[in-house]
Amino acid sequence: MMPELSTLVNVAFVVLFAPLLDGIERRVKARLQTRQGPPILQSWYDLIKLLKRPSIEPSGSFGWLFRLAPAVALSSVLLASTFVPSLLARSMGFWGDLIAFVYLLALASLFLALGGFASCNPYAQIGSHREISLLMAEEFSLAFIVAGLAVSAGGLAFSAMFPLPLKASSVVGVLAFAVMVYVSGARVPFDVAEAEPEIVEGPLIEFSGRSLGLMKLTAYVRRLLLFTVLLNFVIPFGGVLRSSVYVAALLVLSAVYAAFEAYFGRFRTADAVRFLKRFAAAGFVCWLLAVLGW
Amino acid sequence: MWLSFSLFLLVLFSLLGLAALLGLSRRTSWLPALLSTVASIMILIVGVEGSGNWRAGAPVGTSILSSLSSISLGVDGLSAFFLIILGLIGLCSSIYSLSSFKHGATTYRAAYPLFILSMFLALTVRSLLWFVIFWELMTLFSQFLIANGREGSRGAALRYFCTTKGAADFMLLSVVVIIWKLSGSPAYSVISSVLPAYMSSHRLTFVLISAGMLTGLGIKATLVPFHFWVPDAYTSAPGEAAALMSGAMEKLPVYMMFRYLLTFSPLSAPLGLAVAVAGTLTLFFGTMFALRQTDSKRLLAYHSVGQMGYIVMALGAGLYLLSRGYTLLGSLALMASLFHSLNHATFKSLLFLTASSVYRRTGLRNLNRLGGLWKVMPLTAVSALIGSLAIAGVPPLNGFVSKWMIYVSTMPSSTVVSLFGALALFISSVTAASFVKYFTTVFVRPPAGELNVSGEVPPWMTVPQWILAALCVFLGVYPYLPLRAISRALGVVGVKAPALSSFPGVVVPHGLGNVAPLAFFVFMVVLTSILLLLVRPAMRLPGWTTGTRVLRETAMRLPAGSYYASFEENFGEVYGFGAAVRKLGLWIVRCVGGVARAAERCSADMNGMLIGAFVGLLIFVVVLGRGVP
Repeated sequence: MMPELSTLVNVAFVVLFAPLLDGIERRVKARLQTRQGPPILQSWYDLIKLLKRPSIEPSGSFGWLFRLAPAVALSSVLLASTFVPSLLARSMGFWGDLIAFVYLLALASLFLALGGFASCNPYAQIGSHREISLLMAEEFSLAFIVAGLAVSAGGLAFSAMFPLPLKASSVVGVLAFAVMVYVSGARVPFDVAEAEPEIVEGPLIEFSGRSLGLMKLTAYVRRLLLFTVLLNFVIPFGGVLRSSVYVAALLVLSAVYAAFEAYFGRFRTADAVRFLKRFAAAGFVCWLLAVLGW
Repeated sequence: MWLSFSLFLLVLFSLLGLAALLGLSRRTSWLPALLSTVASIMILIVGVEGSGNWRAGAPVGTSILSSLSSISLGVDGLSAFFLIILGLIGLCSSIYSLSSFKHGATTYRAAYPLFILSMFLALTVRSLLWFVIFWELMTLFSQFLIANGREGSRGAALRYFCTTKGAADFMLLSVVVIIWKLSGSPAYSVISSVLPAYMSSHRLTFVLISAGMLTGLGIKATLVPFHFWVPDAYTSAPGEAAALMSGAMEKLPVYMMFRYLLTFSPLSAPLGLAVAVAGTLTLFFGTMFALRQTDSKRLLAYHSVGQMGYIVMALGAGLYLLSRGYTLLGSLALMASLFHSLNHATFKSLLFLTASSVYRRTGLRNLNRLGGLWKVMPLTAVSALIGSLAIAGVPPLNGFVSKWMIYVSTMPSSTVVSLFGALALFISSVTAASFVKYFTTVFVRPPAGELNVSGEVPPWMTVPQWILAALCVFLGVYPYLPLRAISRALGVVGVKAPALSSFPGVVVPHGLGNVAPLAFFVFMVVLTSILLLLVRPAMRLPGWTTGTRVLRETAMRLPAGSYYASFEENFGEVYGFGAAVRKLGLWIVRCVGGVARAAERCSADMNGMLIGAFVGLLIFVVVLGRGVP
């Protein structure tokens, strides 16, 4: 298949499947907390409802930046989904590498925070401060893991990294990356920026209707893409087998992560930052192993 | 070639000289700015056209004295690249000064064109001795740009002048030793043919000369822990002068480092590693301290330190990797270093100009008190947003492409250099955070009190900002033009740049990395516009404050100093260590001052002075006389 066509399939899969994955996670969490839980398609129903509604702009807000934020956030994660191989192995691989991926996800967070600031709502500003603080701490851990994996694979392009060579450093790196996938997906102990019971969704508080829908979709796609990169590190084969293993593994990962999520309360911002700072040690171990050639 | 080089020089000298003379007059303050603008355009053209070997002047003499009696100017690929930077930044800041010169003092207006001229001469001169002379002139003139009558500016200028002048003396000492040891000429061509072989056999001389050269260059390149002159200097200098100093002047040490480390000295792994470590420390501490600033220009000044760290780190990593046999990665890192120099010049000048525009309209640099300026200064706000995103390394702007090259060249090598790349990746997010703070405190969030703003700055101040903002986008989206100039520059210092450009992306072979900024740009622009049409808001309503009656917009406003308090608390060790290093630096400065004062006291004592001079002479005769047959 031509790369353009399979990229299109991949992007469509990511957009359609990401809210579904969220529905599954909500169901799993509900069951673990002995609740009934919504139907699996609930996240899609919510999204459709939001996309039908017009959005409202707060009167004191920085108009065009407030409008720009959800658009840029969604287009940056969708751009990432064009070159990360998801359902099909072929995509626009020459468009970007792991660094570009990390930067595009950071760009989405950055514009989420900028959108929060632009709304000029006091709660949104608190959330945006937290979002950026956490972003820095995340990058601190992630940087060492990326360096370790780069040394281990001998390059940062996806052609070198997917799949990773079987070495001790790769194993440590992938495990550490799996934790970063959890953190970066703004899952419960690390949802300090949104913090629904405390600062009512933080940066998202003033977004409504379509713009809120775009922000929600961004968050879902972001989680799916993080899973995808993690799986790409380990799935060693192509073809139909890859696609089916990939989808099955997505479901399993999603259930496991949701199960963890169900049992945690939220960290305070400082605790989350401290955890991430200490977790950098795992990345450092990965890097050290890789440089030693293991 | 539309003009012979000698004629060009004549025109350039007379333009800038006339500008300096006119600057002394109070009335026509725009005229020197206009002449500087024309001269900058000429410099830019030479930089762009400078592939040929433009030469002028007599050949360089063969001893220290005779080499001072003649001067030789010329442009090669490396100096052409830095001339492009100088021309671009000179052009933009000169246009800016068309309307800002009238506020400046006469010494300021007279020194500005001479400062540009001395930088041009330092870049085109072909002899190391003359380079030091023009370097010192550059320091002298730039000092007048800092000391401009504002409160505290004289102290800042003095600290700047003494620090960099003292550093330049180390460099001068190295140059003299080079010439004396080789008993030859200070011409670049002679030095590069003789010195590497000599230094690879005389390790001690190599270490001493390199230490002297790199001290002199490194202090001007704001390497930590010798960066303490930067914040005060850039806060005192007016915006266009700070833009010129941060954009163009800080790149001159990079120019000489490339020349010295790659052509004058043999490739050596320890030296490369030392440079890379210095760069990493600089990028780490410079940016971490920038995160805490609450003054707009101080914040930019500290980021200037941090970004110079990126440039120097990539240079050192390149040298180290080349000497360890990683040819591809090493040459890529050197390319990244040059590319980041150009990019840093564009976005940092842009940001200094925006900060200066804000200062001119509000009289404020305090981020705690500024706010909400997007309503009154929308043009400045957009260009500041582009500049902030570019320095934060947001794809596909120029800061991203050069940082990406730095990561791709350092991270995959299985050496310690890859750890430096990881730190640079982390620091990039700190830079992003810091510029979210700069942009939101100045332009977005509501101000703490009423601001007295009289509207957007005049067009002569917005035009250069927009030129630079357009460059930030263009250099990132279409990196092939700068990369071509960089390959030419690296060819001069004997490094073969790898062929990267395979349209439409930049691909580093062997799976090291690849990115397609042009595709990113098109995709983002198209999709964002479609989504923007989709989310057009239906109405504007007051913000939702969870039902609280009187929650003013500023009620939960965090002061700029505690924007990222929970992050800074957790990384407190960094700040503690930085403070200790700063104390050490100040202690060294105090000690030197103490020695100088002691010498001054001694000088009152006639007998002591004579004895001292006699002993000194004796030592010189014994030490230097050994070589004489």
